Amino acid sequence: MKQPEDIAQQAATLDQHLALVARMTQEFTTSLDIEDTLNNAITQMMEYMHAEAASIFLLENDDTELVCRTCAGPIQLTGLRLAADHGIIGNTVKQNAVQMVLDVSTDPDFTAQVDEQTGFTTRSILCAPLTVKDKKLGAIELINKKSEDGLFVGDDQHILTALAASAALAIHNAAMASALIEQERIQHELELAREIQSNLLPVAQADDYPVHGYNLPMREVSGDFYDYFTLPDGRIVFNLADVSGKGMNASLLMAKTSSLFHCLGKTQTSPGQLMSMINNEVHENSTRGMFVTMVGGIFDPADGTIILANAGHQPPMLQYAEGHFEEIIGQSPPLGIVPDVEFPETTLNLKDGTLYIYTDGVTESQQDGKMLGEEGFQAMITAHRDKPVTARITAMFESLQREGRELHDDVTVLVIENKPQAPSLSLKVPAKANHLKQLRDKAREVVLAAGSGKEQADSIILAISEAASNIIQHAYKDNEGDIELNIHIDSHISPHQLVITLRDYAETIDINEIRSRALDDVRPGGLGVHFMKQLMDNLVYTVPEDGRGNRLEMRITINE
Amino acid sequence: MNNNSDSPVKFEIDDEQGYLVVRFEGEIDLYGTPHAREVILNCIKSKRNTVIDLSAVSYIDSSGVASLVEGYQLAKNDKLEFGLVNISDAVLSVLQLAHLDKVFTIHASLDERIQAS
Repeated sequence: MKQPEDIAQQAATLDQHLALVARMTQEFTTSLDIEDTLNNAITQMMEYMHAEAASIFLLENDDTELVCRTCAGPIQLTGLRLAADHGIIGNTVKQNAVQMVLDVSTDPDFTAQVDEQTGFTTRSILCAPLTVKDKKLGAIELINKKSEDGLFVGDDQHILTALAASAALAIHNAAMASALIEQERIQHELELAREIQSNLLPVAQADDYPVHGYNLPMREVSGDFYDYFTLPDGRIVFNLADVSGKGMNASLLMAKTSSLFHCLGKTQTSPGQLMSMINNEVHENSTRGMFVTMVGGIFDPADGTIILANAGHQPPMLQYAEGHFEEIIGQSPPLGIVPDVEFPETTLNLKDGTLYIYTDGVTESQQDGKMLGEEGFQAMITAHRDKPVTARITAMFESLQREGRELHDDVTVLVIENKPQAPSLSLKVPAKANHLKQLRDKAREVVLAAGSGKEQADSIILAISEAASNIIQHAYKDNEGDIELNIHIDSHISPHQLVITLRDYAETIDINEIRSRALDDVRPGGLGVHFMKQLMDNLVYTVPEDGRGNRLEMRITINE
Repeated sequence: MNNNSDSPVKFEIDDEQGYLVVRFEGEIDLYGTPHAREVILNCIKSKRNTVIDLSAVSYIDSSGVASLVEGYQLAKNDKLEFGLVNISDAVLSVLQLAHLDKVFTIHASLDERIQAS
């Protein structure tokens, strides 16, 4: 039978054990700096368990080696590499079980290799495996108990097992955390790359500049690019290209190719020869299997001439002023595949037409499993052709991103046209009565610039203001919202055909409810619609393409 | 003067030859109308013959026209005079559009109105 003093001492010892386990568990769970934590822990464990030395070995190199990550005691072992099946520690890891060797000289697993290297004498070893679930991480080893007999006891085995479990978890967590940090770092770098990439694209120009582009990347970084810049003689050099593959490789090749184009294009104004130079340069040190398709050219706004060269890119489409399309065929291999290739040039005159250069992300976009295709893209262009070029590009990309349409690739479009730009206006104002004056003032400027006389301008402005008042009162019902006003000339009908559209995002209104009231029933709204009908040639309410809100289109022929 | 500095419509009321003369200035649109309407209705409610001077109104929309009609109807019910004087071309063309140029009595000035009656 045990004496009460023995029981009290056992209880006190157990308390101390628990306190150490708790302290270390806490240190492990709160620190992500694993080296620091392990260094600290191994010293505490060694002292607490009265060992002469202690070390932690972790599996590395596809679990073929055990490497000492930290140690305490007279001999510095940190960095020491052992074969994964080496000695008692290797055995501990392999069997995933605690090994307690009281006298190493009698243990067949003991190898004296380390002792021989260090001059240290190992007498007895306590070694516990570090595992999380089924994953083996390494082992923790205590050497030579500082007691009279120098032997580890059963209690030591239990404490080390408990400590090893929490140490293993801490090592595992730290590894996961650093993987997460690495992932975040890569994400951050991709974002930087995207920013750098979008800075390589030219700054968007106003409607009266002949070249406009837009790029919609499907990932952080894109393999598509376009560029344009004006030469001192007024001609404009432009290109659009698609790098094979996706992701970082593609975007680096994109950066290189676009820089070459931008730099060499300032002095080499023959698109065919420029492409030959870029082709050789890209070919010289390109990664196997990567290539670039490109349409590049030079446009002279003075006479409307375009000289084009095409390196393996799909043919650009020219829409004539009359509305029909022609593909500009002219194929050479993509850049970077074969050196010393000639790139023949095609010359065309833009006249009042528009040239569309695009990547296959446009035509390969799908709706209900069906690809848009060239014809679908042409229909999309035609649907928006009476809009000024920047508004047209915006509308086309809205259509491409509409719900239900799937984009699988980067989408890039470059548009070249040489039309004298008629005055136009795109304005968005809050749907509040105190913004009506601003709307009228802006609209008046454009209507007068479009050639209207003062009296007619008054009428047009009244109709616009009445339409906007109706949106505020009857569509938004005095709730928050925006009104978009667009005014432009529909030159396909006549240079005097003014088109005014007002769009809101309120609930869609039943068109049958919009009618003018009898004249003796003069309440706002009804009288307003009467004004609009009297003043405008034509008035059409439609539900916008995206199914939200209302659109009113008013047309009037301008007379001076 | 009793002008709300927020309102785009300014006004001045004078008591001349037995009439309240309200002289509006600015643009009477959906934003300015509530203010203008209140001024007109207050004149009628004070049981006074009222004329509205629209020489300095550069823009009026259907809501502004509607408050003129409201003043006209209210005055008629109370057997009070209500007329428009000195109206700008901008206002006249909107009244013509609403076919109201023959409904309102319109005069070049208050004097002309008094002589005509």
